[in-house]
Amino acid sequence: MTVVPAQQTGGGGGTSGLYDVLELVLDRGLVIDAFVRVSLVGIEILKIDVRVVVASVDTYLRFAEACNRLDLEAGPRKDPGLPDLVGEMTESGARGKSKGALSGAAETISDAFKQARDEGGSEREREPASRPRARKAAPSRRKEEQE
Amino acid sequence: MSTYVYGITAATHPSLPEGTGGVGDPPREVRVLKEGALAAVVSDAPEGLRPKRRELLAHQNVLSGIGEEGCVLPMRFGSVAPDDKAVAGVLAERAEHYAERLGALEGRVEYNIKATHVEEAVLHHVMAENPEIRALAESNRQAGGGSYESKIQLGELVAAAVKGKEAEDATVLERALEKEADAVSVGPESTGWLANVSFLVKRESAERFLTAVEQARGRLPHLDVRVNGPLPPYSFVEPGPAEPAGTAAGGTDAGAG
Repeated sequence: MTVVPAQQTGGGGGTSGLYDVLELVLDRGLVIDAFVRVSLVGIEILKIDVRVVVASVDTYLRFAEACNRLDLEAGPRKDPGLPDLVGEMTESGARGKSKGALSGAAETISDAFKQARDEGGSEREREPASRPRARKAAPSRRKEEQE
Repeated sequence: MSTYVYGITAATHPSLPEGTGGVGDPPREVRVLKEGALAAVVSDAPEGLRPKRRELLAHQNVLSGIGEEGCVLPMRFGSVAPDDKAVAGVLAERAEHYAERLGALEGRVEYNIKATHVEEAVLHHVMAENPEIRALAESNRQAGGGSYESKIQLGELVAAAVKGKEAEDATVLERALEKEADAVSVGPESTGWLANVSFLVKRESAERFLTAVEQARGRLPHLDVRVNGPLPPYSFVEPGPAEPAGTAAGGTDAGAG
C-alpha cells in the first residue's frame, strides 16, 4: 500500500524528508479562488502554534529528567563531525530509554494529525503525519504509534 | 466531472507529463490543458479525494516531474475546478500574471530547510551558558532527581533557555544560507522544528547553496539540519507573503526576474 519512492533530498535527508515535503504540499503553493479545495478536515491544525504545549508540566519534567541523565563530562560538541543519524544512534544506544523533550514536541504535531484523522473519518489508511518521522523512531515512540 | 489541478506552466514546456498517473485510486491520468501561452497540468478529480499520504505524494510526484525540465507554478494540494473549461478560463483571465510569475521563477528551484536541536547537545550548551541551571541540575542530581517542585523549576528554566537558543540558532542558520538564495520564505512556526525556511535558489547556484548548508552543519553541530530539494517553488508562487491569488501587483520578491 505504501511504497515510498525515494525522495530527492540534498544530503542527510532520508525518509524524514518525505514528511517535510508533504508539509509544503499541503500548506504552500498556488491558491486560485475560482477553484475549490478538497476538504482537509483537521489537517490545517499544522498551522496552529503548538508552543503552548511546550510550556507544560510534562515538558518541564522531561527536560529535568534529561538534565539529570546528561553526561557533563562529554561536553557540548561530542560528535561534531559525525552525521546526525550516527550521532543519534550512538546516543540512543547509551540512553535507550531517554525520550527527548524535543522529539516529544514534534510528536504533538503528529498526534494532532492523528486526532484529526480520527475525527475526519475512520479510514484505515495511514495519512502522512500519522507516520512517525523515521529519524526519531525511538522504541518508546513506536509503541505509541502502533496503538 | 470536476478537474484536479496540479500546476500551471508554459505551453512550450519541453516535457509535459501527459498520460502519467496522478491522484486517486486507481491513479487518474494526467492531462494538459493549453490556453494561449500557458498550460495547466490536470487530471479528473476523484470522488471523495482526501489528503492521504498517497495522494499528497502523487501530487508532488507529478509536479517534480514537470519541475525537472522547466518552471512550474505548483498548486496547493487539493485544488479542484468545476471542469476543464473553468481551468482554461482562469488561465485566460490571469494569463499575464502567471506568465510574469513563470518568468520570475524560471531556472529557480526551492530548497526547504528544517532544523531541530539535537537534544543532548543543546542541553549541554544551555548548561554551559547558564550557571543557575547548572547549579540546580547538580543539586537535583545529588538529591536523586530532586523533588517534584525542583524538577519543575529546573525544567521550566531549561525550557526557556532552549527556546531562546532555538530563536538564536534559527537566525544564525537563516543568515548563513540566505546569501546563496534569491529569496527566502519563512514557514509556519511550530514546535516540530526551530527553523522551517524555504530558499529560492538558481539551478546553477544549487551546488553553492548545498555547500553553505554543509558549512552551517559543521558550525552548528548541535542542530539537525534537514534539506529538501530541489522542489517546485511552492513557497514562491506569489510575490508577497500570503497575498491572495490574482491580486498581486508584484515586485516584492527579491532578485527574481
